[in-house]
Order: sequence, then C-alpha cells, then structure tokens
Amino acid sequence: MAESKSDVLQGTFDLMVLKTLESMGRLHGYGIARRIEQVSGNSVSLNQGTIYPALLRLEQRGWVKSEWGISETGRRAKFYSLTRSGRKQIEQETENWERIAATMARFLAPSN
Amino acid sequence: MDWIRILLSRSAALFLSKKLDADLDEELRAHIDLAIEENRRRGMNEPQARTAALRSFGGVTQIRESYRVQRGLPWLDEMARDIRYAIRQLRKSPGFALTAILTLALGIGAATSVFSVVNTVLLKPFAFRDPDRLVVMREAVQDAVRSERTAIPDNYRHFLRLKHDAKTLEDAAIFAQQGMSVSLGADHPHIVGAVSASPNLFRLLGVQPIFGRDFVEDDARQNAERVVILSYEGWQTFFAGDRAVIGKTLRIQGHPVTVIGVLPPGVRFPQIALAPKIAFQEFARDALLFGPLTPSERDLTADMGNFNYKAIARLKPGVTLAQANAELEALQRAYTLSAHLPLHFGIALTPLTKDVASGVSGALWMLFAAVGAVLLIACVNLANLQLARAVNAERETAVRAALGASRGQLVRSRLTESLVLAFVGGAAGIALAFIGVRLLLALVPANVPRLDEVHVSTPVLLFAAGLSIVAAIAFGILPALRSLRVHPQTALQENSSRTANTPEGRRTRSAMVAAQVACTVVLLIVTSLALHSFSHLLRQDRGFDASHVTLAQADLFVPQYDDAGSKGDAARLAFADRALMALGQLPGVQSVAVTSVAPLTGETWVDNLFRPDHPVPAGQEPAINVRWINPEYLSTVQTPLVAGRNITGADRANPYVALISERTAREGFPGENPIGRKISDIVPDDKHTVTVVGVVADARINGLKDNAAMVYLPYWAYTPFTLSFLVRSSQSSDALIPEMRRAIWQIDPQVAIPTLKSMDDQVSDSVAADRFQAMVLTGFGAAALFLALLGVYGVLAYSVSLRRQEFGIRIALGSGKSALIGLVLLQAAYPVLLGTAAGFAIALIALRWVRSLLYQTPVMDPLAVGGSILLLLVATTIAAIVPARRAASTDPMRVLRME
Repeated sequence: MAESKSDVLQGTFDLMVLKTLESMGRLHGYGIARRIEQVSGNSVSLNQGTIYPALLRLEQRGWVKSEWGISETGRRAKFYSLTRSGRKQIEQETENWERIAATMARFLAPSN
Repeated sequence: MDWIRILLSRSAALFLSKKLDADLDEELRAHIDLAIEENRRRGMNEPQARTAALRSFGGVTQIRESYRVQRGLPWLDEMARDIRYAIRQLRKSPGFALTAILTLALGIGAATSVFSVVNTVLLKPFAFRDPDRLVVMREAVQDAVRSERTAIPDNYRHFLRLKHDAKTLEDAAIFAQQGMSVSLGADHPHIVGAVSASPNLFRLLGVQPIFGRDFVEDDARQNAERVVILSYEGWQTFFAGDRAVIGKTLRIQGHPVTVIGVLPPGVRFPQIALAPKIAFQEFARDALLFGPLTPSERDLTADMGNFNYKAIARLKPGVTLAQANAELEALQRAYTLSAHLPLHFGIALTPLTKDVASGVSGALWMLFAAVGAVLLIACVNLANLQLARAVNAERETAVRAALGASRGQLVRSRLTESLVLAFVGGAAGIALAFIGVRLLLALVPANVPRLDEVHVSTPVLLFAAGLSIVAAIAFGILPALRSLRVHPQTALQENSSRTANTPEGRRTRSAMVAAQVACTVVLLIVTSLALHSFSHLLRQDRGFDASHVTLAQADLFVPQYDDAGSKGDAARLAFADRALMALGQLPGVQSVAVTSVAPLTGETWVDNLFRPDHPVPAGQEPAINVRWINPEYLSTVQTPLVAGRNITGADRANPYVALISERTAREGFPGENPIGRKISDIVPDDKHTVTVVGVVADARINGLKDNAAMVYLPYWAYTPFTLSFLVRSSQSSDALIPEMRRAIWQIDPQVAIPTLKSMDDQVSDSVAADRFQAMVLTGFGAAALFLALLGVYGVLAYSVSLRRQEFGIRIALGSGKSALIGLVLLQAAYPVLLGTAAGFAIALIALRWVRSLLYQTPVMDPLAVGGSILLLLVATTIAAIVPARRAASTDPMRVLRME
C-alpha cells in the first residue's frame, strides 16, 4: 500500500458515505466504496468491507434506507439511498466539518 | 428517539439473526461479484480478478463480526446465547424437560389457584375507607357452664352508651342482617340478604351512593316513610340498572318501600356472625337491601335481653385495637356496676377482615401450607434432577472453564436452564390456575365469604410469577453453584461418573430425599387426620334420621301474617295447619312435621333457660335453642322420647307444655327429674310459663358437630314467621319437591320458599367445609406421595447407574443378588428413615395448630399417624426395589469391558 494513504475518522467516513449517496442517488455498497476511492483519488486507505458496518449504523439511525434490487450487470444487490433526515444530517455535518476545517486551517496557516 | 429505533432494530436482530446473516452474506457476495466483474473489464483474467477483489475488500470474517456487533446488543446477545444454549440442552433430554415443566406447571398452578382464594378471602381489604381501622364490636360474658369468656351479640342500650362514651372510636353503627322477601310484580317472592342499620353506617364505612342520597337520622324514626338503599347488584337484579330508579318502590316483606339510593359497584357488605358460634348456612350471601334500623320499645329499655344486634366501629387514627378494647371493657364494667346488672359484661373487638374470615381462615391457611409443601417437594425433585444433570455435564463445564469461561458465565448458563424451565412451567401454571380457580370455586363450600370476588387478579399473577422465579432459583441454585467447584484439571482427568459419586454428592442427594420425605410425612399425617375427622363426623350417631325426609322452608314475610295483636298470630297458625294437612295428603307420605328452624343451620333462637324456682344465680342460666314443633316431629326425624310423654293433640287447648333434650335436662335440671318442672320467659308473649312433659334423646340437629341443648314447644303456643316442613315419604325427594312447592303455593302464593331439598342434601351441605378440606387435602397428600416416590426412585436409579462398575466388580467377585439389593435398599433407607423421623417431629409441632380444624380427632391418632408412616415406608420401598433389582442384574462382563 502507498504510504501517502491515510486512515479515516469514523465521523468523516459517515459523511463521505452520505455525501456520495447525495450526489449519486441510489447506489449499492460496492458502488459507494468505489466512488469514495475515486473521489479521494485513491488517497484514502479503505478496506471496502468496512462500508457495511457503517451503512448498517447509518440505517439504524434512520439516515439511509436499503432495498434489494438489480445492479447494472444484472446481479442482485442491496441498494442504499438517503432519507429525509439523512439529508438534514448532511447539512449539519457539513457545517460542522467546515467549522472544524476553518479552525484547523487558521492554526495551520503560515503566520505572516 | 434514535435510541428507541436502534434498540428495536437491534433486538429484532436477535430474533431474526439467521435471516439477517444470510442477507449480509448475499450482500457481501454481490460486492465481490461486482468487483470481479469490474476487474475483468479492466483486462484481468478470472483468478487475478478474484484475488484483487478480495484484497481490496479486506478480511471478510472481521467485517462480518463487526457488522454483527453493530447489529445486536452484546448483553442481550449473550443472554440470548445462554437461553439458546439452555433450550438446546433441554431439547437433548426431552424427558427431563417435560417432567420438569409438567411438575412445575402443576405445582405453580395449584399454588396459584389456592392463593387466589386466600388472597381474596383473607388478605384483600374491603372496598371501604381505611378498612384496617374497622372493627366488629361484640359484648362478652363469662359463660358459667363452660367457664370461658364468650362473645355475644350487642344490646341496643349498651351500644348507645358505648358509642356515646367511647373516646377511642371515631364512630360506631349497629345493625342486623336477615333474609327479607322481595316480590317483583306477580311473581312468588324471593328471599334476599338485607341489612337494617343505624343511618350512619355508610358514613362510617366511607361509602357514598352513586345515585340518590344516604340515610339521615329521620329515616329511623318510628312511623317514618319506609326507604331502602340498594347495593349495585340489587339495583341490577331488581331494576336492571334503570337510572331513574330513585323514588320507585319495591315490595319488601309485602310492604311498598321507596328506593332512595344505589351503592357503587364493588361495595359488598360482608356477612358478619351474630356471635362466633352461630353459623350461617342459609344467608351466606351479600346484602342487596339496606334499610334504616328502627329500635323497638324493648330495645330502648332492656338491659338484660334483646341481644339481637351486631356493631361495627371505626377506631380513631393511631388508636390500637388493644387500647380500644381496654377502654370499652372499662366502660362496660363501670356500667354493669352502676346499673346493678346481674351479669358482668365485657367487650370483644375483632378487625373486620379477620372477623369475616374467622370461620375459614384456619382451613384456608392449612390448604395454602399444604399446596406449598407439595410445591416444595416438587422443587426438591427438580433440584435433584438438575444436580444429576450438572454432574453429567461436568466434563463440558470443565472444558468451558479451561477455554476461559468466567465463573459468572458458568453459573449463569446453568441457572438460565432452570429459568427457562420456570418460565415455561410458570406460564403453563398460570394457564392451569384459571382452570384451578374454577375447580376450587366449584368445590368450596358456599359459606366461605367473598367467593364471588375470587379470580386470577394482578396480585395473583405477580404471586405466580414470583413463585416461578423463586422455584427456579430454589431448584437451580445448587446445581449452578456446583459448577463453580469444578476444577478443570481434575474433572478432565477423571472419569466423570467417579467424580459424581463422591461422598459429598451422595450427602447432598440424601439430604434432599430426607427433606422430601419429611414434607410428605407431615402432609400425609395431616391428610389422614382430616379424613379420619370427616368420616367420624359422618359416621357417628346423629340422634336423627335424614333418609327419606324432604325439607321445605316457608317464610311468612307478608303483612297479613304480621298484623299487630292476635290477627297475625292466628293467620300464621292457620297457614301452618293448612300446610301440614296439604303436605300430609301427598302420595306416599308417612308423616309431616313442622319446626321453626331448618335443621342443621346452626344455633338459632338462643335463649337462656329461666326457671321460676330460680335454682341457679341470675345470669348463669344455661343457653338453649327454642323450636316450635308439632306432635309428629319426633316420629318424622326419628328422635326417640326417653322419659315422660310426647306433645299430643290434646295439648292444643292448653299448649303451654315443653319437651327438652337430654342435654338441656343435664344442664338445666342437674340431678332432678325435669318432668313436671316449669320454664318461664320462653313464649314470646312473656305471660305464660310452660311445663316440661317429656325428655327426648340428644340429636345433632343443629349441626353434626354438637348435640344441641333444645327446648321443643308446640307451634300452637306460638307460630313463628319461618316454618320448616319435614316430609317423611316413600317417594324420592326429586318427585316430592315440585309437589311440595305446589302444595305450599296453593295455600298462599305470597309465601317465599328459600329452601326446598332432601334432608340428606341438607346434612351434606352442612359439612361442605369439612368435605372440601378432606377432599383437597387428599389430593395434595396423594400428589406429595407420588412426587416423593419419584424423588426416591430418581435418586436411587441415578446413583445405581453411577455405581454400575462397582456392582459389576462386586458380582465378579462373587457377591449375591440379594446382597446387592440389600446394599441399594440400605442406601435408600438412611435418608428415608431420617426424613420420616424429621417429618414426625415437625408434625408434632405443626399438629398443635391443626387441632382446631379437626372434629373430635386426637392429633396423635395412632391409626392416622402410624398408617401414614407405614404407607410412606411401603411406597418408598417399592420405589427403591426397582433400581435395586437393576443393580443386582448388572452384567459384570459388559461393565468391566466399558472401562
């Protein structure tokens, strides 16, 4: 594995999954995992399997829902999509994240 | 709200785990398939594509595990695992599981049924305000004949004085309970329970009518308008719940009476005995009617007569029963002295709930104890079985301990098994209790108070649930704790059956057998004493003959019989004459008698025997029961005359003659010939003295338990308002009953007939309580014996199976069959004999308490005690012989080869 890849914090990973579903719509687990890898430019170290406990956690909180369907290749697979409270959650989390990022950015900015 | 959804989804996961696991596997497989597809599209060959897909997925097993953790609740999961494990273990031995569940279900079902009766009759408070401050107040006198203090009914004057002076009482009400006839339209009247009370009764009880008004003082004035308050049931019965009932009239005792109020549902006024010795058979029903009590002229003036009332009082807050008793006792004594009364009156207070249940509480508690003993024996059986299973599972326990199971986990998994059994058994037991309660209610004698309130209620269900848990712990804890003592190393090294047969294991099992046997011995002794008592009650000489006699009671509560002056008296006399005539003309009739009180209904119309020559100091005259009869009475009930002559038709002109029973002769005329002596103050008009003309043999005519002191007078001297006709006939009672009813109603359709049945039934009903006690105890005794047999058999069979190698070696070394049988029997004899001795010792103590429930049966009755012990010893020997013979038939070759 490349050394530049970094581990992912749990909260951020949940946000990534939610955001992926928001932009892509209804998607199966493999699709979500691939999409996260692609968007992060393969910079995130992701065991694709870890997506499943995360999806279950999100489903238990009521932010995503799942149903069985047929993939683009004709394979039976479970599809996930956002719920209304999931969308709200993205807004909140995004705000949260932006605030943290802005704070961190101020700390890390070269002092002039 | 999130946590609820999470909890729900997680708990749901517990029960759906198989399907969810399959779902997850399918999802993960889809993931891998999609990845392989994509990899192949990128130009990899099949194996490469698969390897790459699996690599980027990560560890499938880890993912699955963390997914499951996310899915379920760890502790619930663990519990579910324990339960699943327990169920699996139980399914491996269905015989044991079934036996255990059945035993528990029967035990808990029986205990719960009995408890539901005990709870309602003895424990449940009345639906009155602060019912624990309500007491029943009676007067008390020193009984000269029996030299003991007895409680007697209240005198109106004494009551008024006590109520006025007492500082420990918040309030007190005086009342009388009787049957009253109510007629609806043109129908024949019915006799229902009624209470006449001082107008403050409901205020004292803290009860307010739901409709209409309460009584006021004016309602009890002489010549006030007749008013009645109906109980809720009375309102339903007479007016079908009509809300416009206030102001309507009801015909009570033939008079129109205005309804002024209706009591709330659930308010039931209990039957309270006039005195503890006076039994109720006919009116053990709730009162439907409440009227104001108007004292008679004599009530207000007499200090030494008219003890006709009962009183209920409310203690002031913080006042104890003893304080109130002391104060009232002192008031009574002071009054006795200042008024120069010839008798010293005292007071007897009893808490209301206790008083109402006083006749049955001993018997009910005994049944409860008996059912508890049966349940205990059942639990010991189960504990024994569980212990054997725990020993068998020792190797497994050792393996689990060696693999790192904590002590807590080991105990919990064994205890879970017992809890699972208790849960299933308890649930089945509760279901059985619904049937059991119905069965008990069908058997319970009708004079047990508050029976209509008995049902499986919340406290009863809680009791059953608690009982199941206690039972589970009782029979599960020993085996569970045993698994703590398993040392993995020794257990794994040793042959498990040898470990089980340590002296310690044997001691535990023997102790349990001994405990079982002890309980059974006590129960068997009590049962056989109850049976002995009951058969003695039925078989002893009664002094009368009930067979071929039919009883009809007629109540003349109609105005024409109640006229002031002599008109009412004449009307009643005429009715009695006509009824005797009409009944005598029915086919097959040999003789017809009339008496003022139905036989076997307890002590009633109790007076003191006053003699004009005053041979005893005032106030020490013996108590007697007065009956008004016709000359055929003696031949109808077949009680012989022992001295003097019978009443004859020739006495009709001058009817002031009397027959007395032998007991009355002994107590009232000691050492004298009573024939020709005079008795005064016995005819209600107080004018005439009567002459004793004959002595009749003693008879248990008021109740089979006692030869009553009787004075019989001809009905020509006074005809009472209740007449019991006794018809001796060659025809069966079934054929006679409709004929008798028709004959009586032909004379007057307005007469109520509250009782119409064969005398045999009347006798049988009068001992219903004793029969119930004997029957239920027999059931419990048989159950206990059966369980004890199972216990002895189970333990011996198990220990024989453990010692098969030993027996094999013994046989191989030349031991004979009989020696081996002796060996096993000896092993059984030790705990059985010890248990029998312990049971006998417990019985010695416990029987002192049972004595009052037995009728003329010495508690150390040698037949009952010896018979019970013999029965138990024979039965246990039989139970022990089977495993002993199996031990003797061990095949040494097979056993030794197995090593």
